[in-house]
This record gives sequence, structure tokens and C-alpha cells, in this order.
Amino acid sequence: MGFYATVIANLLIPVGILVFSSGFFPYKPLIPGLATLETDDAAPAIFDKVIFMVVDALRSDFVYSNESGFQFTQSLIRSGAALPFTAYAGSPTVTMPRLKAITTGSVPSFLDVILNIAESDTSSTLAYQDTWLAQLKATGGRLVMYGDDTWLKLFPGMFDRADGTTSFFVSDFTEVDQNVTRHVSDELAQDDWSAFIMHYLGLDHIGHKAGPKSPFMVPKQHEMDDVVNEIYTALQREQHLQSTLFVLCGDHGMNEAGNHGGSSAGETSPALLFMSPKFETLGGRESPVEPSGDMAYYKTVEQADIAPTLAGLLGVPIPLNSLGVFIPDFLGMWNQSMYWSLKGHSGLGLTLAIGSHQIRIQYQNAKQLLNTLTTTFPGSSFDPASIAPCESGAASGIEGAQCAWARVQHILADGPKTYPHPAAGPALAQFSKTAQDVMSRTASNYDVSRLGLGLLITALAALFVLPTTVRECTRRGPPGLFLTMMVIAYGVMMFASSYVEEEQQFWYWICSGWVFYLYIKSQSARPGRTRSDIVSWSGPCSILLLAICQRLLRRWNQTGQKFAAEPDIAHTFFGRHPEIFWALLALTYLDAGHGLVRNMRLPGPYKLGALVPAVLAFTFKVHFVASESPELLDGTFISHIVKEWPYTMSLVLHARLVFYALAIVTLPALLGSKFCSSVQGRLSLLKYHLLPWSAWLITDTAPHESIHAALHVFLMTQSRATNIPLFLLFRVTARILSSMDLTGIEVTITTMIFQYMTFFAFGGSNAISSVDLASAYNGVGSYNVGLVGVLTFVSNWAGPIWWASQSHRLRPRGVHNAAALLTFHVAMSTVSVMAACTALRTHLFIWTVFSPKYLYSMAWAIPNHVAVNLLAEVVFSQGQAS
Amino acid sequence: MASDPSSPGQSTPQTPTEKPSTPPVNILSSPVSRVYSIIHPALLLALGAAHFETLVANPTKGLLNSLPWLTLSQILYVVICLPPAGSTETTAPADGKSSSRSPGPASRHGKHGKRKQHVNSWTCIWSRLLPAFLALALTFALATPALAALLVLFGAPLTTHNIETILGAAHLAVLSATALIYTHGLDRSVWNEVWGIARPADAVWGSALGTGLGAWFGAIPIPLDWDRPWQAFPITILTGAYIGYAVGSFVARTPFVFGKRIIFAAEDVDDAEKKSN
Repeated sequence: MGFYATVIANLLIPVGILVFSSGFFPYKPLIPGLATLETDDAAPAIFDKVIFMVVDALRSDFVYSNESGFQFTQSLIRSGAALPFTAYAGSPTVTMPRLKAITTGSVPSFLDVILNIAESDTSSTLAYQDTWLAQLKATGGRLVMYGDDTWLKLFPGMFDRADGTTSFFVSDFTEVDQNVTRHVSDELAQDDWSAFIMHYLGLDHIGHKAGPKSPFMVPKQHEMDDVVNEIYTALQREQHLQSTLFVLCGDHGMNEAGNHGGSSAGETSPALLFMSPKFETLGGRESPVEPSGDMAYYKTVEQADIAPTLAGLLGVPIPLNSLGVFIPDFLGMWNQSMYWSLKGHSGLGLTLAIGSHQIRIQYQNAKQLLNTLTTTFPGSSFDPASIAPCESGAASGIEGAQCAWARVQHILADGPKTYPHPAAGPALAQFSKTAQDVMSRTASNYDVSRLGLGLLITALAALFVLPTTVRECTRRGPPGLFLTMMVIAYGVMMFASSYVEEEQQFWYWICSGWVFYLYIKSQSARPGRTRSDIVSWSGPCSILLLAICQRLLRRWNQTGQKFAAEPDIAHTFFGRHPEIFWALLALTYLDAGHGLVRNMRLPGPYKLGALVPAVLAFTFKVHFVASESPELLDGTFISHIVKEWPYTMSLVLHARLVFYALAIVTLPALLGSKFCSSVQGRLSLLKYHLLPWSAWLITDTAPHESIHAALHVFLMTQSRATNIPLFLLFRVTARILSSMDLTGIEVTITTMIFQYMTFFAFGGSNAISSVDLASAYNGVGSYNVGLVGVLTFVSNWAGPIWWASQSHRLRPRGVHNAAALLTFHVAMSTVSVMAACTALRTHLFIWTVFSPKYLYSMAWAIPNHVAVNLLAEVVFSQGQAS
Repeated sequence: MASDPSSPGQSTPQTPTEKPSTPPVNILSSPVSRVYSIIHPALLLALGAAHFETLVANPTKGLLNSLPWLTLSQILYVVICLPPAGSTETTAPADGKSSSRSPGPASRHGKHGKRKQHVNSWTCIWSRLLPAFLALALTFALATPALAALLVLFGAPLTTHNIETILGAAHLAVLSATALIYTHGLDRSVWNEVWGIARPADAVWGSALGTGLGAWFGAIPIPLDWDRPWQAFPITILTGAYIGYAVGSFVARTPFVFGKRIIFAAEDVDDAEKKSN
């Protein structure tokens, strides 16, 4: 009964998550088709070509600050030829949604984050959406593109010439960019294109690998500046580039760790520059400058504003779904001398005589925004007859937009016939701004019934395992009570945005309490202790050691938001004392090698063969560190060895050798065990049918030991180098725990707490930006979604996976339904996250805090719970019981 | 407190097992002692509240300024309300047992019976002041470093805020350890029970345990993004400790809880289970 309930519950959890996600991440309604110009409306184009250069993760200070390597670009800012901005990039700050914002001018939905990772998805293409690229194409221009192949996926068939580079090989700093730069001079010589797009990835890769302060950063900026120089010189020199607009921008920024995806100031503040010799008439600006706010240099605009500004400057219609506002600084490019009359809003029958191209540009922008607004809010009327014009702009939301539009109508109708009303420009600007605010806030609408249904299904899953959980919890008072309190406290916590951001604090806090419980338990278990075992593995000193290990874990990586910049062991301490780091690393590998040798079922002398994967893994890590983060090597004994070492192997091959060696070493242990001699019990049928290969894993406990030893080395290979000594702490912790005579439920709670705690100790958090991609390509030669996905998961969940495996080594033999407890916990935490997302769906932080948390809880529920915890249960539990 | 996950046993208390261990401590029976023992926790809370503003403005200064007052009031409390180690131990247990069953008659006895005159006698005061000062010395010499280490193990910063940690530990030690040392001296069996969280509930142990639990719960508001100055490291923890002290001292004196121990009762069941498999 309990078994089937657990199975049903685990089938229900993914279903519930799918249903909830379909309601939470809906596709937005979009206006199909291309915008067209009303023939006599158009203000004359200032430019006829555009060179659009995206430098991935080009944070504002990389260009504008004193430490910048963009000296030439800064000289252009001083001469006025470059207009600098900070372009606010809303969360999610990952490439694909940001490119959508830049090209369509719309605010991308959170779904794009998932699609950004699952890049093979074609439903996210922009082929059928209105973009400034499509508009240029519609005018008969040719488009060329070099760089990040996300563009090619977003715009299939759009480009006449293109050469894509893959954005996921984050270890490559130079080649990705050389592949773009080598095309530049050829394309500048051509005159057939009307848009030339470049997307450089190297700077982002450096950020991911080594952060914004990396020694590679400034040279990379110099390299980018040289490209700007080459292009700008061509603009001045070449006849066919006379009226070409050159845009340099970042798609997003990066935080102090060099990652992005979240909503910190660094991540949301990329640089944006419009360059042309024609701008020199607008006057120069000081450069370099100090930021006026956090990462805010010069004027801050929305990233969505790029689309209407480009459209206006290039004389093409603004993309239909754009929420951008034409950047007013460029209005000066049109002089005031030309008058025109406008056959007003067709429905209004007004004849407006407003002047100047400036007003015309703004009016076009406002009309386009009004169109989007009425599509999103079909219920509200913008007929001036129905709204009383209101003086103050205090009203917010849709009423504010209605009010602002009424004012625009009022001014345009009453103004003098020959010259624009002086208030027309500001009124139009105010309407556009209000409309943008309204639309950005309601960028997605939820299917509440599906949210409810998903919630219900997941709650039902929790209900299915509730009886077993209650039985397990009541059988043993204190731990059961502790678990209950933990589940309740966690559920409540999910509703507070700061606790979601600082979730690690909860687990560290719970862990300190649990270690204290274990201490009391060990004290009360042995009242008559003799002095001799005070220093043994089970004595109070060992608990002290456990507490110290726990304390070291929580300080290893500072994570979350509030304390993220405080000093920690992995960055600050190891940065200052690389010798200690290398000593610990070597010690960890020694210990791992020892574990391999001891647990391999090989005849005597061959046992030493088990050292091969450990040696390979260690040299791989050294190799990896030497090529990815050489600052860790500075001034250590390892750096001398590395210098002398003749490298002949590529990292990919080296990683593969490690994986193969681990597989080879584990295989004889598995095959040599008694072949499914004692497969019995209630799980055997299931295993026989679903997982026939698991039969030879489970016959003895010894194979588990060797699998664990191999897994240990594999997880170390998939972790950041600075996190590897944590595995030594794990071993010590596990050694102490195994001597403590824990009951089944205590082992389950302990490993559950350690799973969550170590996830955060490795530097994980509930922000998208903390996903570690550095080890995702170990041994992967060409991009493969499945393989890279698995490696990414393993490198981010290394701690949880280790403890899932360890839990089976700690667990005493006995009837204990760990699967039910784990299922209950994961179902309850998913339910509380879903409930928080449903209840707070209009909250300001829904896209920056709660949605990322929901994505993480999906990862906890499906890969970690179903694929790791339950698989381990199925594979190993029988071996324990027999 | 009963809902606290770290001491779940409190909700499943058992009647004291008759082991030859030191019985729970009773508040002295004189009316002055009884009244002051009620006032004292409230007084400490008031003391904490009075210094809160300085504490928030300048934690080190606030901790340093309030420490003498805290020490003074704790000495007053132990001298007035508690039997010192050794001397009254012979009379306290009998008294304690009767009052643990029904504290009502004892207090009535104190009110209407012949008033004891020895409270005012100087020798008696001295016989209590001396152990009180000894207890204080041990509090600062032993309990403070031990609690500072515990604070760090529970997450207090190690590389910064050292003065705050030490001073905070001193506050915790004066709150929890002074009365324990005063009433039990260095009795090994008692301290084994203390380390094992196995003391029977009384005002002294209740307030000590309450101090610890309160400090643990006091860590909860620190990660919130309210950006208030009182969220800084030692402030919430000490606030929790003071409140925990008061709550623990009252709860442990109520007839339902008094004399009971936290029992982690799962052992026997598990042993049996392990053998059966």
C-alpha cells in the first residue's frame, strides 16, 4: 500500500509541475504581421544602413569607467560622435530574451529563459514577429550576421550571409571572437547590406570563467575597442558607408561573480552607444565618468527603446509589438524647419496640423504604443469622448495611459494650425512612457485555473505519501517532529522574497540545530562514558568536528544576495593562500584515490590500477585550472610543474579519459559480484521490467562502495576546483555520522539537510545567474543538449548527488520508508513554492525571485528527487535489505 | 517553546525518572525571594529594552554598557532567590519535592507562617555573596569562551565582529551559566546533565535553556532584506536570548513542566528493531 502510494505520488509530481508551468509561463498574445508606414507620415530617414555590434555581457562600466579598455570609444564620446547610454535590461538577463527585447522592442516572457537553455526549441523563433530586421528586410535590404548563433536560431532564413558561433563553449575566450572579426573588413568593403550584425561572445565567457576582474578582461576590451576603431574609421572613409549608423551594445551585464540571469544592478546595466560622425553636431560628453548610481552611467534608457529608435533613425516603421520609446536625444537630428499636416487618428476624424519631424516621430511612436495597448487591454477605450482629460499625471496603470492619451488629443486638436504646440512633445513623451510602464508590468498573464490544478495535483501527491510519513514520524518522536517543523517552516519561508533569496541561511540554521540534536542524542545514548572514547569517532570531540565541518561548509562560498560580496573561503581565502588550496586539493585527490583502491574488487596488485582514474582526474583538474583560471596557480609550486609539463592533450580528450577510466575501474567490480542471486522483495518486479541492468548493481553492498568511490571522483571532476576540498569535508562528516548509530529516519533527515545545505555551500542559490556552466562541457566535443544538460545538472547538484549516494551507506538495515519521506518533503516544498508563485503572481519580485525559485524547485523535484534520490533508492535499497 | 524543533522532546515530557541525580532547584521560600524571582525576568527584559537603542547604534558600546547592569542584577537574583551550591542542598530537595507536587501550600506557608528572620543577617548574605562572586568569576573565565566558540559554530562570524561575539557570549554566559554555577557549583553529575540537555526543569535550567534557544531563534530575522540597523549580527540573537531567558524561567516553574526532563526516547525501539532484522 505504502509502496504504491509512493509510486503514484512520484508520478503525480511531474504531472503537477507540467500543468502548473503551462499556466505560469504562457505564450503572450502578439500582433501578427509587419507594421507599415502611412505613406505621407514618414519623417525622412537619417541613416540607410546599420552596423549592430553586440558584445555579450558588456556591462556599462566596461566602456564608460576609468578602468575601461575602450579608449577609442571614449574619445568618440568626447567628440560627440558616440551617444552613450546605460540600457536597462530587465530580468531574465540571459542572451536570448535580451535579443528579443532588442529586436522586437517587447518585454520577453520568462519562458524564454528555459528556451534559452533548451536552445534547440524552434517555437521561440522570431521569424513571424515584427522586428527592425524584418522591417529592413521588407524594404529590400540585405542582412548579414556574424557571431552568436542565437541570432540564426531567432531569425531563420533572415540573413543573406552568416557565420554562427556557439555560445555554450564558455571555455573559449579567443576563437569565438576571431571568427567574427575575420569577417569585418570584408563586409565593410561590401555595399550590398543594409544591416550588418555582429555578436561577440568572448567577454561573456571571460566573465563566466573568471569574473569581471579577470586579468583577461581589459585585453578583451582593447580587442573590442580595436574593432570599434576599424568600423568607425571605415564609416569616415568609405563612400558607401556615408550614412551608416553604428550601434555598440551589450545584451546584458554581469554581477561581481561574472554571472548573469538575475536582476542585480550589474546584470541589468549593459552599455549602449550610437555612433556616427553625424552625431558630432549634437555635442560631446565627458568621458570617462563616474556612475551616477549603481552601474548607471550617462542617461538610462530601456533596452526596448533600441527598436523604435533604430526604426526612427532608419526610417522604417516601429515593430508592432514594441514597448519602446524613441530616445529623445536623437530628436535633434531632425531640424525644425519642415512643416507637415497630419490626417489624424483615422477613427477620430480630426485634422491635426502639427509640425516638425520631431513631433511626427514621437506621434508615430505613441500611435504604435496605443495599438499595442488596445490589443492587450481590449476592454479599455481610448476614445477622447469617453475620457475626461485630466490635468495631473498622477493616475497610474491603464487609467494613467488613458488620461495621458486624452491630453495628447486635447493638445493636438487645440494647438495652432501652423506650428506645433509647445506642449505636444512632452505630452506625447508622457503618454509613451506611461504606456511602456503599463505594458511592461502586465507583460504576461497567467492561466489561474491551470495554476490551481497544478497545485492541486502536487498537493494530492503529498497527500498520497502522508499516511506513510505520519507513521514514520510518529514512530520516533523527536526527529519526526523536527522534520514536520522543517517542512512547515520551509513552506512559510517560500512566501518571503528575502528568504527565497537567502535560502541557504535557512538550511545552515536548520543544520546547526540538527547537529545540536545529534549531539544531545549521542550524549543521552551513552550515559556511562569512559574517558577513553571521548576522542574516538563517536565521542563528543567527533561531534565538535562535525560542527566545525558544518561551519566550514557554510562559509565556503558566500551566496544569495545580501551577503554575496562578503569574504569567503573559496574566493577570498584561497585567493590569498593558493598553497593551502593546492595542498587541500591534493589531499582530497589522495583520499579519493585511497577510496578507489580500497573499494575496488580487484585482485591484489591490480588494485593499484584503481589509482589511474584518480591520477587522471587530478591532472585533469590541474590542466583545467591552468587553462581556465590561471590566477589560482600564481606563485605556487604547481605553476612550476605546469610550466615544465609538455601539454599534448586537449581538455576534451583529457576529461573523456577520466570518465572512461572511471567506467573501466567500476565495471569489474559490478560484473564480478554474484549475479542477481538474491533479487527479491517488492521492488524486484519493477526493477526486472524497468531497469534490467540494475539487477547486477544490487546484489551486494560492495558494488555500492565501489560505485560510490567512483562517483566521488566523478563529482569532483564536475565541480569547480575551489569546491573540491569540500569533498574531503564530506568524507570526514560521513565518517562521523556513520559512527553515530543513527536510525533510519535520522539518516534520511541528515542527508536531506546536507543535500540542500551542500547545494548552497557549492555556491548555488535561487538566482538563475548562479548556474555554473564551467564544467558543463567536460569531455563534450560538439554541442549536445542532453549531454550538456546532464553535466550541467551534475556540476551544480554535485553535493546533493554525493549525499544521496552516501545516505545508503549510512542507513541501518531495517524497515524505513525513506522514499516516502523524501517524496513528502519534495511534494510539500513544491506545493509551497507553487502556492507562493500563485498568491504573489502580481508581486514586484515575481520574475526576479519567485519564478527562478520555481525553476529551481522543478530541478529539485525532477532531476534531483526522481532521477537521483529515487533511482538510488531503487538501485541500492534492495542490496541493503537482502 | 514547545514548537521548537531542536528540543522536540519538550512536547513529550516524561515524569522524572528516579535516578540518583541532583533534583531540580527551588526558588527560596521567603516572600522576598518569591516576589523577586517573578520580578527579575521582567527586570532583565526592561534592562535589555533600556539599552536597545545604544545597542543598535553601537553594538560594542551597548553590550559593554549593559553588561555591568546585567551582572549586578543576576548577582542580586541568585543571592536573593536561589540556594547556593552545597550549603542549602540538604534542605532544598525536600522542600523542592513538596513544592513540585503542589507549590500552592508552600507559598501560603511562606506568607502566613512565621517569617524567617535570617534573610537580613549579614553572615547569611556573605555566605551567599561569596559563591555568587565565585560563580561570576567562573562565568567569565570558562562559560564565556565556551559560549563564544558555540556562537561561532552556530554561524557567528569568525574573521570579523570578534568583540561583539565575545561580549555577546558574555551576556549569554551571565544569563545562563551564573545561576547554574551558583546553585550547582562544579558538581560533575549536574554538568554532565547540562551538557546532555538532561536536567530536570526548574527556574535555573529553564532560563539557561531558554537563553540558548532564544539565541538560536534570534538568528531568524538577520537575512531579511529590510535593511534595518537592528538586523546586525549580535543584536537579534541577544534579544532572542533575553526573551528566551524570561520565557524559559517562567515556563520551567509552572507545575506541569517543573521537574520534567527532555527525553530522547527513541533508543530502545530502534535497538529492538535493529536486532530483529
